[in-house]
Order: sequence, then structure tokens, then C-alpha cells
Amino acid sequence: MKYTDKQVQVPLCAVSTASSLLNKTGSWRFAEPQFIDRVSPCNQQCPAGEDITGYMYLAGQERFEEAWRLIMEENPFPATMGRVCFHTCEDRCNRKDHDEALAIHTVERFIGDYGLSQGLKVNIAGEIKDKKVAIAGAGPGGLSAAYHLRRMGYNVHVFDLNEKPGGLLRYGIPSYRLPKDVIDGEIGRLYDMGIEFKMETQVGKDISWDDLDRDFNAVFIAIGAYREQFLSLEGMEKDGIYKALEFLRNVNKGNKPISGGKIAVIGGGNSAIDCAMVSRRLGAEVTIVYRRSEAEMPAHGEEIEMAREDGVDFLFLSNPVEVYGNSKITGLKLEKMTLGEKDSSGRRRPVPTGEIFDVDFDGMILAVGESTDVEGLPSSIDHKEGVVSTNYMSQTNEPKYFAGGDIIDIPHTVTNAIGAGKRAAVGIDRFLQGIKDEGNELDGFRWGSEGNISIAGLNGVRLFPRKNPAYEVVDQKELNNFYFDHRPRIKISSMPSKDRLSNFNEVVKSQSKDNIVAEARRCFNCGSCTECGNCYTFCPDNAVKKDPAGYGFIIDLDYCKGCGICVNECPRGAMKMKYME
Amino acid sequence: MRKVLTGNQAVAYGAMLSDIQVVAAYPITPQTTIIEELADMQADGRADIDYIRVESEHSAMAACIGASMGGVRTFTATSGQGLFLMHEMLHYASGARVPIVMANVNRAGAAPWSIWSDQTDSVSQRDTGWIQLYCEGNQEVLDTTIMAFKIAESIRLPVMVVLDAFFLSHTSEPIDIPDMETVKKFLPPFDPGEIWLDPDNPKSFGGITMSNAYMEFRWQVQRDMEKAKAIITTVHKEFEDTFGRLYRQVEEYKTENADIVLVLSGTVASTGRDAIDTLRERGEKTGMIKMKTLRPFPREDVIAALKGKKKVAIIDRNFSPGATGVWAQEIKNALYELPENERPLIYGYVAGLGGRDISTKTIEEVYSKTKNSEKPDDVDIWIGVKYV
Repeated sequence: MKYTDKQVQVPLCAVSTASSLLNKTGSWRFAEPQFIDRVSPCNQQCPAGEDITGYMYLAGQERFEEAWRLIMEENPFPATMGRVCFHTCEDRCNRKDHDEALAIHTVERFIGDYGLSQGLKVNIAGEIKDKKVAIAGAGPGGLSAAYHLRRMGYNVHVFDLNEKPGGLLRYGIPSYRLPKDVIDGEIGRLYDMGIEFKMETQVGKDISWDDLDRDFNAVFIAIGAYREQFLSLEGMEKDGIYKALEFLRNVNKGNKPISGGKIAVIGGGNSAIDCAMVSRRLGAEVTIVYRRSEAEMPAHGEEIEMAREDGVDFLFLSNPVEVYGNSKITGLKLEKMTLGEKDSSGRRRPVPTGEIFDVDFDGMILAVGESTDVEGLPSSIDHKEGVVSTNYMSQTNEPKYFAGGDIIDIPHTVTNAIGAGKRAAVGIDRFLQGIKDEGNELDGFRWGSEGNISIAGLNGVRLFPRKNPAYEVVDQKELNNFYFDHRPRIKISSMPSKDRLSNFNEVVKSQSKDNIVAEARRCFNCGSCTECGNCYTFCPDNAVKKDPAGYGFIIDLDYCKGCGICVNECPRGAMKMKYME
Repeated sequence: MRKVLTGNQAVAYGAMLSDIQVVAAYPITPQTTIIEELADMQADGRADIDYIRVESEHSAMAACIGASMGGVRTFTATSGQGLFLMHEMLHYASGARVPIVMANVNRAGAAPWSIWSDQTDSVSQRDTGWIQLYCEGNQEVLDTTIMAFKIAESIRLPVMVVLDAFFLSHTSEPIDIPDMETVKKFLPPFDPGEIWLDPDNPKSFGGITMSNAYMEFRWQVQRDMEKAKAIITTVHKEFEDTFGRLYRQVEEYKTENADIVLVLSGTVASTGRDAIDTLRERGEKTGMIKMKTLRPFPREDVIAALKGKKKVAIIDRNFSPGATGVWAQEIKNALYELPENERPLIYGYVAGLGGRDISTKTIEEVYSKTKNSEKPDDVDIWIGVKYV
């Protein structure tokens, strides 16, 4: 049969010009993928409530000014925080189980320094208001509240006993960790915003609480914890014995209270470390004497390590019982301790052994803790065990009085103080607007159930677009790590140890832009859509579409079958399946 | 330009000279050096190829189908198990009428594992709608690769270029490499024709087709397979006109006056020529035909070559369990239509599976067995099997 010349009534290959859009496969769906921008663990962890995920995304694209402005929504001092914060965010980083945690702290410092070097300014975001707020204390908590309130448009006056604002930032933290020009630069912006500073004016002494009550619509108490603990030992009246904060303040003012010699620093916290490292820079041989072991030290591990690099010695499980010397200290009688049961702090308690030994010293610095001075506060304000009682919004029992920083029951860190100042600013604003909070009105604007309030969230500022922000925290298990390769954490360069002890120059160096960008790009951006496009690429029905309104994607429910591939392939847990009832 | 090339390099040169645009392939011995050579050509700028990385041969063919519909000249290569894995997509490619060219390096199938030559992989794909062209030497491999694109694109059916593992794939010969300009004159640029995924004019191809139309599509495949015979002959002729080398679907060698004609394919044909020469010197009246195309099967050419011969002996380096070697089936099928007085006795032999050598001695043994037999057995004779 010859059929080579015949034709049939069909084309060469079956062809359809009708669109498959006729078939609305969305009718098959019993589950629905949703874009939900969830909270990253680092954002929830940050006591200052920064949007770390967001500014990592921006820094990774070299959009440093936007990154800076995103931090500035929450925290007025990124360059300072990038130096002194103990970055517990990094402990919570989901990347740490993948390879190494992100160096969030280092990136933040770069962004902060970028803001300073570019002379970036912030604007007052709200309308100028005639209501006046008094801030007692120009430490990080007070300055944070002042900054946020001023951005909202309030008339803000800050009172402080010192010559210059900054509190512990200026008078506690040594300049090799936090150079003075950084503090001056960052606080300078607050002056530019029109905040009134009344320096060398201690509330309760130079100006009365009654005066504030009369002249201001609200008051924020952030006077810190300056009352230093002393030890009641025999010989404590001798010369050459210093209290840590007093010692640090003295040095920060440019004085040299010691010059060489053998110095004992008593205590295991960060102040002890600071005093030890400062003493090394003043030419002393330094031994930190601590009654427990290294594991129980409250000081941050990196700090302890840096102190070792600076040649600080440690004498653990030792407690001073007597100071030797005539008019001046010449040595300490110490008792050997051992570790007993855990105490209320969860650390093992030091127990005396009765074994006594002597060590020669020319000086001693006591860094054994500090407490608040609540007695001077207005008598109607409730306090318990030396701390002022406040609600979540930092409000005391007296509605117009708010309190934050070391005077309330939060960890004594700069970041926690800044976070408390921010909460107080929001609380004061709501109080002055006459909004009565029942307790959870602001939950949706917090970084998860344990996180701080986001001012950007509250004001609807979208420097890093989160279209569908949710309150819940994204879990490590909801990430798809397949999409993340393994890259080492940035190596942070520091001044060589041999060069450190002759000066108070900054130890940790600034990192290069390229390294910072590479580090920021290591961020998983847990929970937040970065427009990676996996959902778009993998959807078998082309039901994921670019959002015509701008950022991100939308689901076309006419065609989404609810297969869930998009959710599975989302690297960062920014999608979730919702099952129908 | 003359160069010493392996068979696999010859494939790569053929594909490169044909100006292929997309390769999607998955490595498998003994094919791998083809796509490696092409990757080198791509890397050093000799060829402008987009490589699509895939996770299997099935995906490789699927990607090739998509690429071809996307409007580009598409090539892939595989072997043995890889070809088996592609099976579903082979049917799809021919049904979708995409002119893909694929080199298949003949490799025996598992189990047991083997990487050595036998045709079972390609002959078991004979019903997939692919044109299959078998090669004897490396020059033929290169030339056939170039011709394959012209054949495929003329008739819009995919073409498989088949070469023996190791005997060709990894054995070097001096061969003539045509220059690109001449190849471009011989082979026009790729034209996707009506089967083209044009973004400006969206269409989908190969969608579900009901019984009222399905048969018509299949009928066209059959019609064009028949047409392909003439097209292959025309392309062979054009190739000869351009490059001076003539290939035939059925090549006769010393068949004149022959009483017994051997039927051979692949590298065995090359060994066969020597064996025939020796036998002729001894006064034996024998010749051979070399089969180049398995699909479409060149029935008319086979009849013309074998009509009136006394005996035909087919050596199959493959077999279909439960039947016979595949070439033997095809030859019997073709010759059946001859009247009894012109129809030769047909002897089927299976030899050389899994790369076992088929030497001139093997071929002489086949010849003498055939000569000394009055009537063929109803099953193939397996040569060299070690019985207990």
C-alpha cells in the first residue's frame, strides 16, 4: 500500500491554542498556601526589638542607608550597639546549626558607622505636640525613650547629674570598646532633633520630683543603678581600694587613678573585666579574684577571652577575707572556696573551705555588683527589693510615671535599657493620647510573644516590606536548608594584643564593606519573603504570581490546587499551609 | 582536516559542526566522553551550546523535547541502561515530531551488569518511532551525525545514531573532518516549523487527543517513516555530492554471483568484509550486505539485494528473548513476500553479546555452518556458547 502522498485531517502534532486557564484547578483545593512573614528568632530575641532580618536583607544588597534607617526605627544607637551589645541574637540564630551563627553584631556596627560617616539624620516622624515629657537620667534607657518620644513629636527634656549625656555608655564603658567620638556622634543626633538636655541637674537634688510633676505631662525614670556594693572586710578603709563604676568613670573622664603595680579586681561580671583591662592599660599587673569558677562568671565569654589576650590573670574559687597594709593596701588574705549546690541564679554557690592564703597587691577594685537608689523617688511609686514595679509598657502604679533601665527588673545591659526606653516611649504616647490598654493591644506589633515592640510595625513603616506580618516565630524546622550553602562566618579582625596595652584605642577593627555584604548575605532571613522566587518557580499551575502592587508574590486561588510545593520549597519559612475547615 | 579521533569524539565533532544549540544529557559509560568532548568545545569557545544539567536520562530526553519545541537544534547521547530509562520519552519525542538527534553507544543491558557492546539497547527501542542509523567506522559516525540532523529536520522525526561501545566509541582512527562552512551549506539552519513554542503566539503541543483523532496522528508517523526512506537516500546522495562519501541504507559487498549472503551491521560489517575477501579467495561464492537503517526498515533495498540468493545468514549482536535476533526477524519479514523460487533460505545467528569478540573466524564459522546445512533450524544458532 502506498500511503506516502495521503494527508489526514489533523496537524503534524496535536496543538491547542486554547489556554489552560480554562481549567480552574483551584476548585480541587482543600488547603491553601499563604504568604506569612513570620518573626525570626533573632528579632524576637533582640531586647531592643530591632528588625535584624530586615537590615541583613538590605545590607546584603548594599542598601546601607535603608538598613541604617530600619535600625533607627527601633534603636537610636546602631554604631554603639554594634560595639557594646552582647548580641544574644546570635545565640538564637538558626544558622548556627547549619554552619556558624551570623555575625549580626559586626554587621550592625558597620551599618551604624555608615550612618555616622555619611552624617545621616532622622526626621521627626509625628506631628509636633505641645505635651512635655521629662526624662530623669541620660543613660541608654533615658536617651532611647527621649529619642522615640521626640520622633513622635513630643517636647522632651532630659535631666542628668553628669556633664554630658550617655550615662554608662560614656562613663562606664572604656573607650577601647566604645570610642568617645562614636557616642558623641550618635548622641549628637539627639541634640539635632531638638531634645532639651539639662545636664548636671540631678532629679531629686538639683530639681525636685515635684517640679517635674508640675511642669511635665509624663515622667520617665531611668536613673540607673549606681549604688555600688562594698565588702565589709577588715581593712577596707585603706588607700588603694576602688569601686568599679567609680574607677571606670574616673578613667573615662581622662584621669589615671592607678599607675602600674599589682591590682586585684574582685568580681566576675563585665565590670570586673572592664576594670581589669583598663588597669592593664594603666600599666598594672592584674588578677581577677572570683569566688566561683569560670563557668559561673556572669561576664560574657568573648570579654573573658579578650581579657586573657590582654594578659589578665584569674584566681578562681578565692574570696578576700582581709585587707593587709598600713595606710595603703599591700595584699589580701584570701580563702579558698569550693562549689556547692545551685543557688537561685542557677549557678553553683561558693562554699568556704577554711583554707587561707595570702597574695601581695598594691591596689584592689571591687566589682561586686551595684544596686538602685529607690528611696529618693516619689514616695507613691511602688518598688520591691530595690526595683521599681512596672507593667509591660514600663508604666508604674502612678500613671504618669514610667520607669526603665537598671531601675526596673530587667537584665542590666545597654540593650535591655534601650528596649525598655522604647516601650516606655510607646507607653507614654498612649497614656498622653488617653488610650487605655487592657494588656495585649500591642501584641501584633511585637516580635513574637517574647519580643519587644517594633516601632516600624506600629507606624506601618515598610523599609523592608513585610506584607503579611505575623506574630508567630518561625521554627528552624520550617526552613528548607537545602537552599543554603555552607559558608564560614566572617573573621573579625582586631588590634594585635601586643599593640593594645599602651593605649585606649579601639581593639576590634572595622570590617571591609565586601566582608560585611558577604556576611549579611549569609542571613537566612528566617520567616521573611526576600522575593527569592522559589514559590513562583516551583508552582506546577503557575498559580504563584508576581504581586502587581509591588513587592513579593500572590497566590491565584482560581488555579492553586493546594499542593503545598511552594510552602515546602520556601527556604525561609515565609509561607504556610492553611487547611480548610 | 584529518585528525585521529575516537568514535565518541567523532560524534562530538559531528554535533559541533552541525551547530547544535542545546545539549541535555546524563553521563553513562561508554557514552560519557561524547558529552565531555562537547562540554570542552563549549568551554573553549569552539561551540556555542547551552547545557541543561539533568538528574536522569528520562529528564535529559524530556529537556531535549522542550528545547527542540523551543526552537533550537538539540542533541543528546546515551547508552544501554540510560536508553532504557529514556524509553517513555522516546515515544513522546517521535509523537511530538521533534527532530532531536541522539547518539546511542551500544551497550549490553543488565543484569548482569555489562558495559560492553551489544545492540540489545537500541533494537529494543525500534518501535518508539525513532529513525535508527547504525555505523561501521568512525568516519561514518561523524558523517552520519551530520546527516542525521538533515534527515530528522526534513521529515520531523528524531534520529538515533548508533555506534558500538569501545570498538568504535573508544577506538581511534584517522578521519576526515569537514569544515564548518561546507557543513553549513549542506545543513540549513534549524527551523522549528509549526511545532514551536513561540511566546508571542502561545500554544501547547501533544495534549490529550480523543479516539476520533488519535489514529490520524499515528498514521502520519507511519507515513513519514515510509517517506523517510527516500529522504535518507536523498540526504546520502547530497552528502556524497558535498563531501564525496556515499552511504547506503543497505550496502552490498561482493554479492554478485554469491550463493550465500551474510547480513551484518555495526563494526561486524567491517570484520565481515575481511572474512568475505578470505572466503572469496578460497573460491567460495559469498558476499554480504551491511545494514545501516533499522527504522525505517529498508524493505525494498533488502529484497533487491537478496532476491534469488540461495541462502542468507544474519548475524545478530542482539536477541529478543522468546523470538530471534532482531535483524533476522526483519529480514525474514521482508523476504517473505518473495515468491518461493526467489526466496532464500534464512539462517539466524546470535553472536558477540556483551562485547564478546566476533572475529573473521566467527564469520567463517557462520558461513560454513550455513553452507553445510540443508535447511535452517526454527531457532537462531548461538555461536560460541560454552555448554557444560
